[in-house]
Amino acid sequence: MQINPELLEKIVAEVLADLNGGTSRGSTAVAAPERVGGVKLTEKGQSARGTDPKEVVLAISPAFATTFKTTIIGIPLADVLRQVFAGVEEEGLHVRVIRVYHTADVAFMSHLAAKQSGSGIGIGILSRGTSIIHQRDLLPLSNLELFPQSPVIDLPTFRAIGRNAAKYAKGESPTPVPTNNDPMARPRYQGLAALLHNKEASFMDRSKAPQELSVSFE
Amino acid sequence: MAIVAGIDIGNATTETALARVEGRDITFLATGISPTTGIKGTLQNMSGLRSSLGMALEKAGFKRGQYGAVDVIRLNRAAPVIGDVAMETVTETIVTESTMIGHNPSTPGGVGVGVGTTISFDALSRAAPGDSVIPAVESIHDYAVVASEIAKALERGVNVTAAICQSDDGVLIENRLPSVIPIVDEVSAIERVPLGMRCCVEVAPPGRVVELLANPYDIATLFELSPEETKQIVPVARALVGNRSAVVIRTPLGEVKERRIPAGELYIIGPQGKRTVNVEDGAEAIQNTVVACYPVDNIFGQPGTNVGGMMERVRLTMSDLTGIQIGDVYIRDLLAVDTLVPQKVVGGVAGEFSLESGVALAVMVKTEELPMRKLAAAVSQDLGVKVEVGGVEADMAIRGALTTPGTKPPVAILDLGAGSSDASFMRTDGTVELTHLAGAGNMVNTIIASELGIDSMDLAESIKRNPLCRVESAFHIRQEDGAVRFFNEPIDASAYGRVALLHEGDFLEPLMLNNINVERIRSTRRKAKQEVFVKNSIRALEQVAPGNNVRLVDYVVIVGGSAKDFEVANMVTNALARYGIVAGRGNIRSTEGPRNAVATGLVLSSVQQ
Repeated sequence: MQINPELLEKIVAEVLADLNGGTSRGSTAVAAPERVGGVKLTEKGQSARGTDPKEVVLAISPAFATTFKTTIIGIPLADVLRQVFAGVEEEGLHVRVIRVYHTADVAFMSHLAAKQSGSGIGIGILSRGTSIIHQRDLLPLSNLELFPQSPVIDLPTFRAIGRNAAKYAKGESPTPVPTNNDPMARPRYQGLAALLHNKEASFMDRSKAPQELSVSFE
Repeated sequence: MAIVAGIDIGNATTETALARVEGRDITFLATGISPTTGIKGTLQNMSGLRSSLGMALEKAGFKRGQYGAVDVIRLNRAAPVIGDVAMETVTETIVTESTMIGHNPSTPGGVGVGVGTTISFDALSRAAPGDSVIPAVESIHDYAVVASEIAKALERGVNVTAAICQSDDGVLIENRLPSVIPIVDEVSAIERVPLGMRCCVEVAPPGRVVELLANPYDIATLFELSPEETKQIVPVARALVGNRSAVVIRTPLGEVKERRIPAGELYIIGPQGKRTVNVEDGAEAIQNTVVACYPVDNIFGQPGTNVGGMMERVRLTMSDLTGIQIGDVYIRDLLAVDTLVPQKVVGGVAGEFSLESGVALAVMVKTEELPMRKLAAAVSQDLGVKVEVGGVEADMAIRGALTTPGTKPPVAILDLGAGSSDASFMRTDGTVELTHLAGAGNMVNTIIASELGIDSMDLAESIKRNPLCRVESAFHIRQEDGAVRFFNEPIDASAYGRVALLHEGDFLEPLMLNNINVERIRSTRRKAKQEVFVKNSIRALEQVAPGNNVRLVDYVVIVGGSAKDFEVANMVTNALARYGIVAGRGNIRSTEGPRNAVATGLVLSSVQQ
């Protein structure tokens, strides 16, 4: 098994620096347009429960596409958003994006998205790529489709996640998105994933309500 | 006083009836049931027999392994009948050159009809203004790029009338175009789309199907075809019927053919000699020939064909199991049912499927006698209990079935099992007429599996046995009859939005079948049961009824494992009501339902000996 000690050190140092000096960064980066690699996310205020049956709500984590620019395997988060949007649009629906601050747990993020969604279907994506498709009547930890191994999720999978979410919203029964299973993903990425999670969690703000975002690709 | 165990070894299950016999008084203690191990009548049955008997002993208050408590075991003289089932596809659609794309992407883009010349996407920027073109777009191009290129070409005056895409981008591209054009997407083998050819793309509005490209005369109009050429285009039009989107490309040599696969001939030997029937002619022709040859002596398949292979396989299995010479194994009955088999179109460019016709065949083999004595000796040695081989199975089944309240001789028994459908008729004087026919539960499984494209026989069995529902929300389902049911606890998330099987105890088993709805599965299931069980019931009764007249039978008791099915017994009851027959599912000893008839009969006959 190969662990890159330099990479690990670098990440540890970065996380420590963040923990020491940057605890308030989550709440300072409000309302200012965030431009990361081809996508502009602007906060429009507190998100509310939607009534449009044609929408799928996508919840992104506190530092998605701000501090984090790529998933754990280096896929630009702008492309991730674009593919999820495309998957939903191809089925004739549209996406509403909210940013969750009070948690970095993808189960609760996606469940919140589902509860706010007019169709009852929500998607949650963490910055490192871990994703869930959720339905509002289900319990938070019992979801429609779970994509737990962030290192094996590629862009076609993100497109398929969008497509399947839209199909659930239409009341169809899609075949679950096929995903790879990499037994080496755990030993190779678990440490990194834990660090990324800690870093993401440092941007949490338990007192801040979910914010609605407007998204424009460029 | 003696404890007697009647044990019936069937094709699928081994059933036990345990009773205390005092003089002429019989008290039934318990019953046991267990899957039959191996083919019935062979020494492999031992372990299934032990577990079935053990279960009955345990229920009666003995220990599971306390075989010594039994004084006599009575085995049935199992009817030496073994069934086998196979599928033959008899047609095949072949596209010899890419002339049509008739697949059904779930989300094509735009709507309307576009006619033009196919070009590659890269050549779009070089197209001259005024040209009518249809670009074929590979999946390497991003939808935004494709849309902007098409928009640019339109602006230059190039008449882009439609588009064909490899990836699922139809709606995405359409949403980014200034005007509406039809776009067919998910064409997986886009490299096989011929370029520089005249082409027509049609996308129907949601909920409608293509009209132009499904009509040979419209295709002739679009491509200026001669009457002879129009004749050749008919298979194309036929293949596109019912699709929401379609592409037809005119190539100089292309054609779509429906080919008949030489499935082989069946030779049926009866009292009047040999008759030949071709499997391609379908179930009805085969069945008519079988009836014409009745009583059938033997059936052979044409050597070197699929059906020939099937017949030899059955003979070989039987000969291996029983030690009888292969030449002495006789196939005595055959049931053919027409089916539709989804098959991939050979040479198609978008993974198109076409429903080809096929024939499911079930055969029944009758040997001289199964080595029951050998099995009885082995059981006796193994368990240390005296073993008797009881009377003929059909005789025992009638004795058992007559314990159903409301029956009296003359009565007919329909024993619908897994491997064969048996019928027997008892006259008032106690004489019995009996027959064994091919085709029962296993054949229904085969038909369900092939029509729905399922690989697993266990899943097919599950579909056969359980009603369907659709999970509409986390708390309610719509059952196949349209009724809605609510649950207090949330339904398992894996079943959400899916078609599921409603098992006993409200357990839901979601089906992972793509694009197959409740109605389709239900009609397939019911059709299979109708074709096998109802047809066979009438066929069987015709053979045992006095004067071969079904109307002369008054009472029919349906027993056997397949009678437990939630709808088979009702279907048969319904069909027989037309002949004025009282027919219904048996209720052995008023408690056992349609099961345990033979085992019960074996115990009863021990007293009358």
